[in-house]
Amino acid sequence: MNKRLLGVIDATTVHEDLHELALHRSAAAIPFGGRYRLIDFILSNMVNSGIQSVAIFPEFQYRSLMDHLGSGKNWDLNRKRDGLFFFPTSNPDKPYPGIGTLDHFADNIDFFERSTQDFAVIANSYTVFNMDFQPLLDWHIKSGCDITEVHKNGATLGIYLVKKTLLMDLITTRNETGYSNMRDVVTDIDSQFKLCYYDFEGYAVMVDTIAKYFNVSMDLLKPEVWKELFPKERPILTKVKDEPPTRYETEASVRNTMVANGGLIEGTVENSIIARGVKIGKGTVIRNCIIMQKTQIKENCILESVIVDKDARIEAGTVITAPAESPAVIRKGTVQGMRTGS
Amino acid sequence: MLLAGGKGSRLHSLTKNLAKPAVPFGGKYRIIDFPLSNCTNSGIYTVGVLTQYQPLVLNSYIGIGSAWDLDRKDGGVTVLPPYAETSEVKWYSGTASAIYQNLNYLYQYDPEYVLILSGDHIYKMNYELMLNYHIEKEADATISVIQVPWEETNRFGIMNTDSDLRITEFEEKPEDAKNNLASMGIYIFKWSVLREYLIRDEQNPDSSHDFGKDIIPLLIKEDKMLFAYPFKGYWKDVGTVQSLWEANMDLLDRDCELNLFDQSWRIYSVNPNQPPQYICPEGEVTESLVNEGCKIEGAVSRTVVFQGVTVKKGAVVKETVIMPDAVIGHNCHIEKAIVSPGVYVPDGTIIRPGDDSNEITLVSEETIGELQSN
Repeated sequence: MNKRLLGVIDATTVHEDLHELALHRSAAAIPFGGRYRLIDFILSNMVNSGIQSVAIFPEFQYRSLMDHLGSGKNWDLNRKRDGLFFFPTSNPDKPYPGIGTLDHFADNIDFFERSTQDFAVIANSYTVFNMDFQPLLDWHIKSGCDITEVHKNGATLGIYLVKKTLLMDLITTRNETGYSNMRDVVTDIDSQFKLCYYDFEGYAVMVDTIAKYFNVSMDLLKPEVWKELFPKERPILTKVKDEPPTRYETEASVRNTMVANGGLIEGTVENSIIARGVKIGKGTVIRNCIIMQKTQIKENCILESVIVDKDARIEAGTVITAPAESPAVIRKGTVQGMRTGS
Repeated sequence: MLLAGGKGSRLHSLTKNLAKPAVPFGGKYRIIDFPLSNCTNSGIYTVGVLTQYQPLVLNSYIGIGSAWDLDRKDGGVTVLPPYAETSEVKWYSGTASAIYQNLNYLYQYDPEYVLILSGDHIYKMNYELMLNYHIEKEADATISVIQVPWEETNRFGIMNTDSDLRITEFEEKPEDAKNNLASMGIYIFKWSVLREYLIRDEQNPDSSHDFGKDIIPLLIKEDKMLFAYPFKGYWKDVGTVQSLWEANMDLLDRDCELNLFDQSWRIYSVNPNQPPQYICPEGEVTESLVNEGCKIEGAVSRTVVFQGVTVKKGAVVKETVIMPDAVIGHNCHIEKAIVSPGVYVPDGTIIRPGDDSNEITLVSEETIGELQSN
């Protein structure tokens, strides 16, 4: 199979606008779509494209990311040869210059030297999409490009394809060239390289604000988006849990909603994403919400346009509503018991 | 030692291509997940699974046992199929002969005690408590028993005991039972005793090489210390279409003793990694269990829905078990049925029991044409 591509995921990104969801985790580890974390999309895309060696460069709060990825077994990356590599930064105080930080790669240049693949895909960790990198590689070679940046509707998706030897040159010469990341390389108007742009036609959104997070989540409820992101032949893989099927009680009324396993639903749910192991009590009405793993919502609550992070507890009778343009966020592990509104 | 070679012929086409322990159950499991998870949860990490009938699905499902955390450096799960010797191929002719053929596997570990299980039942049980009981009673063999309704005693192997629960007599499917303690097909043996009796049984040309029919009666006859271990809780033999359906329906009962949501005694299974279930704007789901990868556009009530199932618009499904990847077409009406894995039920199909019948319909590739024309 294809051994030509090396996967490099830059999971160092921190977005101020995602702050509420990224207090305890990097953007890569933000739960998404009921059972995934954002990094599952790029990682599964790499694996589904035949990539067998993936390096992850995390920074800041990487405990939840480590816990999620483990040995890479769920992505079939627990290999004797190649597999999943994890390179936490050796210098956490350095400012973050952008996707594909060459300094960070330089600390681990050995990895690039040792790997046998000819090309590398360098990508961010927080784009929701389902893409095969093989056609990209074929196109890159056929077009004689040095560096290809993947675009969506003319804007960068923060994904780069480059020959490994050239990548290593970029890393070693970074002090002379002044390039600090991959974006610098492709935006240099005096570049000596042949720079190319590859337009990805499918659904793709970089999730870097709460509003985008909310909208992309709601897009999952559109059958055409759902079909495109989760085709059977190119599954998005994630850490599996041994949750039982979700249980719907007599009073349950669920419409236009995605529900993961292990849930217990007794209330009304509409236009929402319900993650693994969520409990929704009797008489509760949930509309346009994203409820993350193991959150408990007791009886007779009303939640509208709310993102409830993991392990939260909403006491009986609580009302939380927000306008759809700026959804409220309930932080991980908190208890909400008071009536609020806006 | 988990006996998983059973054919389960009363499950008809459900076991056409797979052994009974591999039959899907409870929205995401296979029957064998229950004994295997019980082993892991009881701290038993060396498990031999004896296969014979249609082993392909079962073998690939078990794999190296990682789903049950049984991929171990020492022990772990080992699939034990029948094999050929220099003189002949020795099929497992009975439960006892199956273990006898694998004495070498047991010699390899030389355990103190051997637990013998069957892959046919749905239950949660801590085998460690049974072992403690076995040790405390200084028993040669301990048989787990459960109280069954008196009118059903003629369907089970019944243990007659003295007041100390020592087994004095074993009656297979008695017409006039003296007791209602039924064998659950779960045995703990002292390894030395098991070894001796298996070897003797094998040499007896008149034996049918079965634990219930031959080994246990001989142990009683020779006055060995046999004790009944009374188990309380949910236990069900899912050997017929009716009982498989009932056991699935039991899960929808909120007070069901078999709690799949108990985190301290999880039932593990091979997870297919599918996206969450999608309940469409027209969909309606009540009193049901639904697994990942499903798309529900119709109305589903009191139903167990396995992974990858589609229920199309206008379809009404009640008191039914829909196995993996089946599709229920538009405007179907299905009641009291088991829909086999991967079956496509064409639009407008109506399946319901007759007026004075409570019979469960098994919908399979073979029967779907017939069911439609009715």
